Amino acid sequence: MKAGSNLEKVLTAGYFAATGELGPPQSADTAVIEKKAGYLKGYVDAVNITDCQTAVVRMSSMAVAVMLLRLGLEPTMQMTCRDRNRIAIQSDLLGAAALGIKNLLCLTGDHQVFGNHPTAKNVFDLDSMQLLSMVKGLRDDRRFQCGDEVKGPEPRFFIGAAANPFADPFDFRPYRLAKKAKAGADFIQTQIVFNVPKFREYMKRVVDLGVHEQCYILAGVAPIKSFGAARYMATKVPGMDVPDEIVQRMKATPKEKQAEEGIKVCVEVIQQVREIPGVAGVHIMAIEWEESVAEITAQAGLLPRPAV
Amino acid sequence: MKHDEPPPVISPAEEASPPCQVACPLHTDVRGYVAAIARGDFEEGYAIAREPNPLIYVCSHVCAHPCEEECRRNQVDEPVSIAALKRFVAERHDLSLGHGPSKPAVEPKNQRVAIIGAGPAGLTAAYDLARMGYPVTIFEALPEPGGMLRVGLPKYRLPREIIDIDIKGILEAGVELKTNVRIGQDLTISELKAQGYEAIFIGIGAQQSRTLRIEGMDLDGVLLGVDFLRDVNQGKPVKLGKKVLVIGGGNVAVDVARSAVRVGNLGDEREVHMICLECREEMPAHEWEIIEAQREGIVLHPSLGPNRILGRDGKVVGLETIVCESVFDSEGRFNPSFVCNTESVIEGDTVILAIGQASDLSFIHPEDGIELTPRRTIKVDPDTLATTAPGIFAGGEVISGPGSVVGSMALGRRAAISIDAYLRGENLAKLRFAEPQKLGELPQKTVEKIKPLIREPMPLLPLEERAFNYREVELGYTPAMAMRAAHRCLTCGGGAYVDTGKCAACLTCVRVCPYDVPVIKDGAAFIDPTQCQACGVCASECPAKAITMKLYSEDQLYQEIEALFATAPASNPEPFIVGFCCLYCAYAGDEWAESVRAQLPPNVRTLDVFCTSRIDIQHLLRAFELGADGVFVAGCVGEECRHTDKAVNRIQGKVQFVKEVLNQVGLGGDRLALYNIPSAEWGTVPRIAQEMAERVRTLGTNPL
Amino acid sequence: MIIAEQKPLDEIKSMIADYQKVLILGCGTCVTICFAGGEKEVGALASALRMATRLDGQNKEFIEATVQRQCEYEFNEEVADLIEEADVVLSLACGIGVQTMNEQFPNKLTLPGLNTAFLGQPVEQGVWDERCQACGDCVLYLTGGICPIARCSKSLLNGPCGGSQNGKCEVNPEIDCAWQLIYDRLQALDRLDLMMEVKPAKDWSTSRDGGPRKIVREDLRLTFVEEKQS
Ligand SMILES: Cc1cc2nc3c(=O)[nH]c(=O)nc-3n(C[C@H](O)[C@H](O)[C@H](O)COP(=O)(O)OP(=O)(O)OC[C@H]3O[C@@H](n4cnc5c(N)ncnc54)[C@H](O)[C@@H]3O)c2cc1C
Ligand code: SF4
Ligand code: SF4
Ligand code: SF4
Repeated sequence: MKAGSNLEKVLTAGYFAATGELGPPQSADTAVIEKKAGYLKGYVDAVNITDCQTAVVRMSSMAVAVMLLRLGLEPTMQMTCRDRNRIAIQSDLLGAAALGIKNLLCLTGDHQVFGNHPTAKNVFDLDSMQLLSMVKGLRDDRRFQCGDEVKGPEPRFFIGAAANPFADPFDFRPYRLAKKAKAGADFIQTQIVFNVPKFREYMKRVVDLGVHEQCYILAGVAPIKSFGAARYMATKVPGMDVPDEIVQRMKATPKEKQAEEGIKVCVEVIQQVREIPGVAGVHIMAIEWEESVAEITAQAGLLPRPAV
Repeated sequence: MKHDEPPPVISPAEEASPPCQVACPLHTDVRGYVAAIARGDFEEGYAIAREPNPLIYVCSHVCAHPCEEECRRNQVDEPVSIAALKRFVAERHDLSLGHGPSKPAVEPKNQRVAIIGAGPAGLTAAYDLARMGYPVTIFEALPEPGGMLRVGLPKYRLPREIIDIDIKGILEAGVELKTNVRIGQDLTISELKAQGYEAIFIGIGAQQSRTLRIEGMDLDGVLLGVDFLRDVNQGKPVKLGKKVLVIGGGNVAVDVARSAVRVGNLGDEREVHMICLECREEMPAHEWEIIEAQREGIVLHPSLGPNRILGRDGKVVGLETIVCESVFDSEGRFNPSFVCNTESVIEGDTVILAIGQASDLSFIHPEDGIELTPRRTIKVDPDTLATTAPGIFAGGEVISGPGSVVGSMALGRRAAISIDAYLRGENLAKLRFAEPQKLGELPQKTVEKIKPLIREPMPLLPLEERAFNYREVELGYTPAMAMRAAHRCLTCGGGAYVDTGKCAACLTCVRVCPYDVPVIKDGAAFIDPTQCQACGVCASECPAKAITMKLYSEDQLYQEIEALFATAPASNPEPFIVGFCCLYCAYAGDEWAESVRAQLPPNVRTLDVFCTSRIDIQHLLRAFELGADGVFVAGCVGEECRHTDKAVNRIQGKVQFVKEVLNQVGLGGDRLALYNIPSAEWGTVPRIAQEMAERVRTLGTNPL
Repeated sequence: MIIAEQKPLDEIKSMIADYQKVLILGCGTCVTICFAGGEKEVGALASALRMATRLDGQNKEFIEATVQRQCEYEFNEEVADLIEEADVVLSLACGIGVQTMNEQFPNKLTLPGLNTAFLGQPVEQGVWDERCQACGDCVLYLTGGICPIARCSKSLLNGPCGGSQNGKCEVNPEIDCAWQLIYDRLQALDRLDLMMEVKPAKDWSTSRDGGPRKIVREDLRLTFVEEKQS
């Protein structure tokens, strides 16, 4: 065991994992966190806590992660390179480990232009790859990035990384995944999969490279709430590939039935990716629609979650 | 305000003169006056053309215009109509403003100079010397001055009032003229010296017809060309039959033939033939003269030599000819060879010889000390035109042999300079005349980029109205035609030059030039003057202001903008509008800058530019700074542009930029507008001005 | 070279508000080439400011001059009398020129008329692209000659990130994804192996992060004296 988290145990035991996601509030409100945690508890193996996603200021992912621990859920703390340099990141990691956080997802982070402080100075001292190496170095070599030894207990994380099979250049993406595994990723959560054939092709290449044996790959999935949301994702979100047939399918569905249809699409995707060799689980991103996770996991036959 | 601006650097190549100017024996600033006409500044054009040329009116009608042969436009299509343009400015010139440049302030001198002969050479020498301050007297054998102009050239080509205009101007410069004085007969050279003339110029021309030594020369009906013309021109009766045979193929022969057509106004009743040694292609007369002759019904018989004149009862009945194979021998000497047994006869009752002229030098006496050459011409130093007698100089056709008006004038001018040097006691041996350096040919790659433009045809008197009278055949240009004709000039050598000290080698000029002329050489831009088409795009875009246009510079444009405001109506409720108009395309049809300007209300002022791409952002801003309520730019932004497609649209970016500045300044970008005028629409400038005024009225006046 | 652009007129106006006689001082090098502060721009700005300040009811005087390189004392010295004469100098040079002026003429304030934007390439007439960030530790040998520090929005050394789409950066479709460019170039050079290396965290100490930088070449200094071998 690298960190001994629930997620790590589920995956090493060979179960098909299911993770969820929780977006912290843009306030100091704890009630909303409790509410969302309630929607997820029991349906997923671990819950990602985003780190100021889309560069909008939100409650710190470490704080929310600790709250989840208290609520009895396992958090996966997300950490981006946008706002912190290597000093701040390592400091946070020591704290997070001390507070009992065991899963860490290492990301480069969205650029601040997308958020509510576009005039901010960004940091990007490290990129996600270098972050992975640093976290692995802390854990396995007990060394800080500078090479100094960690005197005392080292921070131990089950290290995650993201991958976007739909970004360009497509041919390089499997290799970049391999790089991440090499840099230290124990598990991977992908961008939301709608275009299953393309994902299948991607996974084929990943498997050919043997990367699935170096880390666990969780396919990202998400329910679509409406035709509008489908269209928005298809056209406005960079790195997102929503095939036209899905957009059309949502369009053809009467408005009041669209949410239901969206869940159905998500379940279908889960069932399909589950069959793809190398896929070790799914990461369900039902941001601001956490209540749908119960339904999705149930319909997809992912319940009950294994106790390991 | 500029600080410590270093003088612009001009490399020697950039100082080369345009070929037209070099070809002109008087080195007239052709490019300068053509450009002035192109801008509609006709008086300025006249002033430039008149500057070196006291016989401008004469030349504007009959100059042989070697400039056009050398014009670089020949490489693209046809030459610029330089001669016709000179005529245009001369005709428009307001003589009440004077003939030419006012007399320079020189100290009056007391050494008297005598000029023999009032032809172009003598007149020019006299005029120049008078302007230098010398008391000059011309002695002319004939009752009227002008030389061949008066007694040689036919009236239908050179109306006599035209000669009088120039003579008047020359005499007004302080030249004394004594007519009916034939040197050698009424006065001798020694007598002139005795009368106190310290220098003498011989300009007696070549006034005698050469004759032939063939059978029948003494028959009744054989005339000499020059004598015939002199008689016709002096209104003396001439005896001409119904079938006239003119021998000769030069310009004089054509004049003789065409005059013969007109004598007595016989219409179709008289036939005129020309017989010459040369084949049709090699006839020495100007092509356009030959064509006009043919149009007037004159029959050409090229490649024939006169063998003998046939007569009956002492009267001419015809000419026996023989086929001429070649005129010159292998060494280029005149040595015609004939084909045996090719004799034939052309019937006729009159034969006129027009085979060349020579000078009558009988007035020269041995004691004058003027040596002659073995070919019986006056011996002169080719540079100074000094004869072997001290103080005696000679020029014009007496030296050159039959030539042209300008050529003879140039020799008169050169002699005047030598005479002045002589009288000031300078060593003549040191006086040398350098010819200006000629700008090279257009490189082929440039030729390919220049758009051809139709040479504005000269309106001619209709054929049926001309043959039997002495009315001038060429009618002259209208102002719109003249401007169009002038726009064809490539402004050779008048384009861009770079101050290498300022150049930042930014490559802007390299990129924007429609003709791909500038290159970066030795760390700075280099603009080859042989290639530059003077469009001015580079100068208007150079961020370092390192480029200046030699002709019509940016600073001149500033001055013109300022001048517009100097004459602005003091208190006018109407908005004051300044329009920058492209000379090439803002006016069309019969519109031209001045006529359009006359239609504009006093609150609208236009300023004409050679292509709107010459305007730079500072020019536009300057107009607003000076208080313009509105500014418009009128020109094409499309394919009509005279320059290659790269030049078009450059103004759009500048207008856009200045609009933005005006918005920031608080004046409002709407006060500036660009109007695209396709050349086909005419009369649009007044319409644009009106529209602009209305638009600006709603914006209120410029608060500055 | 240094790429700059003029500040908005209003900002310039407020900077010079308290001064009567303003010397607008251009620079004949980089900012001339990027159409921000050469003689032409000096003239246009003077014209605009004359109009703008007159509209505000002020009667300011503007003097125009351009020196060859405002970052050098010797060139600025040539216009010392004009600087003397002016109440304030509005420099159309880059920030280096502005500071040189302030240093050289301590009794005269020199204001920046430009925003010094970046180190870039004039890619076509009227278009300038950032190319270098002066990080002090050039990585171009690893990236097919395309700088990810300056040209990747996130300065990634192991790109492209998941936002790369159709060759464009997630930040803005106007921005080329530097890592797509790098990938394409390396592929063309048959050096994709360079993409496979995990490039370690960069040493930013040579960049601005290490504090103001300075290069000293003792050998070139006029005070240089060869050390005696002991
Ligand atoms: C028919 C004809 C047509 C021509 N057409 C053109 C043309 O279209 N374009 C062009 O450029 N050129 C033309 N020329 C040529 C041009 O006219 C002459 O080149 C020019 O006139 C020569 O000038 P000159 O002063 O040397 O001599 P001239 O014009 O011959 O003048 C010499 C003067 O000296 C006078 N004179 C002679 N002897 C004495 C003396 N002993 N004492 C006092 N006075 C004397 C003569 O009377 C005459 O007035 C033409 C010539 C002729 C004959
Ligand atoms: S194009 Fe103009 S300047 Fe050039 S040779 Fe002809 S007339 Fe002279
Ligand atoms: S545009 Fe001006 S500064 Fe730039 S290269 Fe040409 S001459 Fe030199
Ligand atoms: S841009 Fe025009 S003026 Fe400048 S070099 Fe080219 S042709 Fe000559």
